[in-house]
Amino acid sequence: MELSDSELVLKCQAGEIDAFQELVLRYQQKIFIVIVGLLRNREDAMEVAQEAFFRAYRKIKSFQGGSSFYTWLYRIAVNLAIDSQRKQKRTPLDFRDTMDGLFEEQNEVAKDPFSDVQDRELREKLVSAINDLTPEHKAVIILRTIEGLSYRDIGEILGCSEGTVMSRLHYARKKLQQKLSGFL
Amino acid sequence: MRNCEDIRESLGVWLDGELSLADAEVIRLHLENCAACDEQRRQWVKLDVSLKSLTESNVRQVDFEPFWRGVQERIAKQRAWHTELLEWFHSAFAGPGLAWAVPAVILIIIGVLSFDSFWKLRGQRNNFSAVESIDAHGRNVALLREDETKTTVIWLYQNQEGEDESSGENVETSPAF
Repeated sequence: MELSDSELVLKCQAGEIDAFQELVLRYQQKIFIVIVGLLRNREDAMEVAQEAFFRAYRKIKSFQGGSSFYTWLYRIAVNLAIDSQRKQKRTPLDFRDTMDGLFEEQNEVAKDPFSDVQDRELREKLVSAINDLTPEHKAVIILRTIEGLSYRDIGEILGCSEGTVMSRLHYARKKLQQKLSGFL
Repeated sequence: MRNCEDIRESLGVWLDGELSLADAEVIRLHLENCAACDEQRRQWVKLDVSLKSLTESNVRQVDFEPFWRGVQERIAKQRAWHTELLEWFHSAFAGPGLAWAVPAVILIIIGVLSFDSFWKLRGQRNNFSAVESIDAHGRNVALLREDETKTTVIWLYQNQEGEDESSGENVETSPAF
């Protein structure tokens, strides 16, 4: 029988590292996808995701269960990613560079969902438009669109009210829509 | 009846399923009858789908096999105390909510140092007494000012006849008031 998150957390707090491994396996992809959405670079995202789990492990004894484990974990990861993005002095690779490199490596161009010419243009525009958003606006749209989290959970993760989440989302969508006019 | 501007303001919240049933129904009915707002809805749906595809395609080929190993290595690795301290300091003071803390701490330090200097200067002034001597038509006036008690003492005395100023002897004077 599969253990719940809180049962695994209790085991972690008792020092069972296998329980923590189970939590990592459960959330590694979700955390990675959010971070890659924020940082737009797979290598950096991998580093930050691993660091996020490491920090969660270190702090797990202080986790009281006031919020769910995944919002607590997302909070650690998103804060690290936003922080890393602010600190990044070098110009980050964008989605297109990362993805093109990846597709060339693996000869999977045919599987690219943006393989159609017009869609490829849309992708380029989308990458550029996302890059222009602030980390906070990027975070809300990634958490909502990719992860499908509720406004309440997003607010909890980002430490802001549901109203702020709502207005940030509206602003981010309007911005993206403006920049992608003619491609949507 | 809500106008198009109101509807578009709520469109994202409606798409996200965060509206009440009654409000959601109002939006749905409006969209059925308004091509312009429905076009906005279509664009936002495509935006969300494109964003999702873009991010997910970036993750599809990632090998998560070594992920746990990376986390394990971090757990096993002993970190130097100064790295831990820096991390703690960074997490405690560098968050967006505490961005004000850094300039505030700098201001407090400057304030404390300035206050300290002020008191030192003030202390010096407290010990300072000014003595001025004015020779006015054979009468000497001496002023003594003491800053701490804000007292001014005026001495009025007269040179004695035949006094040899170069004799080096003390001249006795008596205060006039």
